Amino acid sequence: MVAAVLADGLHKTYQVPVRGAGIQAALKSLVHRETEAVQAVKNVNLEIAEGEVVGFLGPNGAGKTTTIKMLTGLLHPTTGIAQVFGYQPAKREHQFLMQITLVMGQRNQLLWDIPVIDSFDRNRVIYKVSKTDYEKTLDELVALLDLDSLLHKPVRNLSLGERMKCEIAVALLHRPRMLFLDEPTIGLDVTMQRKLREFITQYNQQTGATVLLTSHYMADVQALCKRVIVIHHGSILFDGYLDHLVQRFTAHKTISIKLSDPLVDLSGYGELITRSEEQAAFRIPNREAANFTSRLLRDLDIVDLTVEDPPIEEIIESVFNQSA
Amino acid sequence: MIEFFRLANVFLRIGAMNEMAYRANFWIQTFESLLSMATALATIAIVFNQTDSLGGWQRAELISLLGVYFLVLGTINLVVSPSLGRFMEEVVDGRLDFTLTKPADAQLLVSISEFRIWKILDVILGLIVLSMGLLTKAEATSFASALVFGITLLAAGAIVYSFWIILATLAFWFIRIENITMIFWSMYTAGRWPVTIYPPWLKWILTLLVPVAFAVTVPAQALSGRLTFNTLMSAVLLAVALVFISRWFWKLGVKSYSGASA
Amino acid sequence: MLRYYLNLYPAFLRIAVLAQIQYRASGVIWMIGSIIEPVIFLVVWSRVARARGGEVGGYAENEFAAYYIVLMLVNHVTFTWIMHVFQSRIQFGQLSFQLMRPVHPIHEDLSDNVAYKIVQLTVMLPAVIILILIFQPKFNFEMWSLLLAVPAIILALAVRFTLEWTLALVAFWTTRVNAINQSYFAIIMFFSGRVAPMALLPVTIQSIASALPFYYMIAFPVELLLGKLTPAQALTNIVIQLGWLAFALMLLVSLWKVAVKQYSAVGN
Repeated sequence: MVAAVLADGLHKTYQVPVRGAGIQAALKSLVHRETEAVQAVKNVNLEIAEGEVVGFLGPNGAGKTTTIKMLTGLLHPTTGIAQVFGYQPAKREHQFLMQITLVMGQRNQLLWDIPVIDSFDRNRVIYKVSKTDYEKTLDELVALLDLDSLLHKPVRNLSLGERMKCEIAVALLHRPRMLFLDEPTIGLDVTMQRKLREFITQYNQQTGATVLLTSHYMADVQALCKRVIVIHHGSILFDGYLDHLVQRFTAHKTISIKLSDPLVDLSGYGELITRSEEQAAFRIPNREAANFTSRLLRDLDIVDLTVEDPPIEEIIESVFNQSA
Repeated sequence: MIEFFRLANVFLRIGAMNEMAYRANFWIQTFESLLSMATALATIAIVFNQTDSLGGWQRAELISLLGVYFLVLGTINLVVSPSLGRFMEEVVDGRLDFTLTKPADAQLLVSISEFRIWKILDVILGLIVLSMGLLTKAEATSFASALVFGITLLAAGAIVYSFWIILATLAFWFIRIENITMIFWSMYTAGRWPVTIYPPWLKWILTLLVPVAFAVTVPAQALSGRLTFNTLMSAVLLAVALVFISRWFWKLGVKSYSGASA
Repeated sequence: MLRYYLNLYPAFLRIAVLAQIQYRASGVIWMIGSIIEPVIFLVVWSRVARARGGEVGGYAENEFAAYYIVLMLVNHVTFTWIMHVFQSRIQFGQLSFQLMRPVHPIHEDLSDNVAYKIVQLTVMLPAVIILILIFQPKFNFEMWSLLLAVPAIILALAVRFTLEWTLALVAFWTTRVNAINQSYFAIIMFFSGRVAPMALLPVTIQSIASALPFYYMIAFPVELLLGKLTPAQALTNIVIQLGWLAFALMLLVSLWKVAVKQYSAVGN
């Protein structure tokens, strides 16, 4: 079977102008301009099977958007191969474009001053969706995303969240098999983020579409993606299950206890993070966690004990810090 | 007054630095200024290929008029239009609040908030073409004409500035006002020719609705000795009146703005 | 394929008209510019004609009125604003969406263009009527020239739209499109009959103009409507229009390919 997405040794190098500070440099650049090569993406290899939902993580400027643009055909790789359903995106073949979609959280394709439904109609015609299919899809999207009251309003009168829902709907009218979602939840409030996540999950389950998603919000990734790809400084640092990422990059667990006696002396057990009367939390290296727990249970009178991994944001941050 | 020069000096320096940051702006502006001047001169050449005078104006006089046209155009684009354009944006997005809370005259601040330093090229080019016209003219320009020219040019500056302030002040009440300045620019192109050649209805529009007549034609008339005493007096009176009216209107606008957002 | 476009254009046009009705007010303001320019030249040349005893270059005073009123209309039908907007389209990423769609962006632009013209006719026609009442132009319409004017104007739009759309593509290589646009506007002013009817231009400019496409984008249909051309001249000019259209389309197709390649090489 052909993989939904395949990247083999992708590289992208940009030429960017450089200029020093101050008037003198400004005047000098009037006549001569210097450029330097910046490697935005270095040797990216990845394979995504049809139906997978993959989270694409990395700080700003890590190469996420550049990679997505190479996979959607908006950018030519400097070297290397990109393939989506066996198509070479850069050729922008009709059949390829009919099967994919791109949603960018900060940019919109809906027409600003006319009702949403008219922008939908435009995409119906562009993507040759038959009337019956269109109506069926539209009904589903309206139900799933709760668009009923929005369809006949001009886009400029919608809130950011409402607009984003419509942006996603218009991007899905042609039932694409491959979704590239670049920061789809950016700027949305928590409830709306959750709704969109539920919708993406549902769409994936119903249609078997493949999803590649970038997001700053770890909650998005945790909720949607079993698999994550972490990119930093243009190179892939990690590609695998989210669980494995946690195991691999966290050396510590947080162990919280509740004591029956508030006056117990806890010094000498391990690194204490918080302590208030009967509550306390320790930061303990993974391999010592088991021993540590049994020691606590043996020595002290404990009402409650929990062992947790640190929050995912912290893990990701430590991934980036380790590689910096 | 000292306040004015202090602020203007600072803003001018910042504006210049800003423009310098964009490498090609200088060359582009040189090219654009030369091109539009060349276009205008070529148009005059084509018309005077067929005739010796247009509505009583000789070729050299029309060239001087064109010089005045560019001089005023450059001045507007140097500071008035960019600053007030920015002001209109600030009303919409609320940044104006920062300006209004500064301890200096708000009208002054918004009037000089932005300099497009390279537009000075239009002013320079205007002066060159103006002198070119004067030098090729049959009779020399008298000292008196030059003096009257100076007065009318000052009046022109005051009238155009006040007109823009009034336009910009409208932004306090109407959001989509930027388009209004488009009307000014469309009408201003009529100033490449003396407004006296236009039919009466258009002449009145160019005199009263959009002050093209006082901005360009009247100073050029002063140079060619065509200016009547009455016109000179109306230019000066209108200038003084508009300065006060625009000031009053501006204050009204600020009052309404503060009232609305409080 | 044809059926695809037969579905596409009505849908695009409907949406474009809806949008243009929203922008009606600012559209009116843009119209002022395209009305004032011909009026200025109308006045200037009428003055010259009067000074020269009522006629210059074969145009009487009231014929200049006719020339510039018809020119205003033809210019309204054929003008485009694509060169002004292409850069921001690239800069703000709208182009990325257009490239992701399985349809060439030019179709939407053409629909927008036609929609704007239709909506703004509501301003243009009253303006024409008022100007006719004021300037008392002398029209000598003839049946054959009116009939030929239809394909001539449509071809003028086609040539101008294709050519200016192609020129707009320079925005892929430079962000300083304004200087290029301004040069283009200066050239088209002189060589398309806007500054003066062709007959009034110096002979050298006339012969240069006949080798350029601009005359065929504006002045030719105007002269045809005013009865300044013989049927043979008119037909020849239509053939030349077709030639320019073929050339412009070829240029468009090949440059578009290179432009998209450039876009996807540097990104944005």
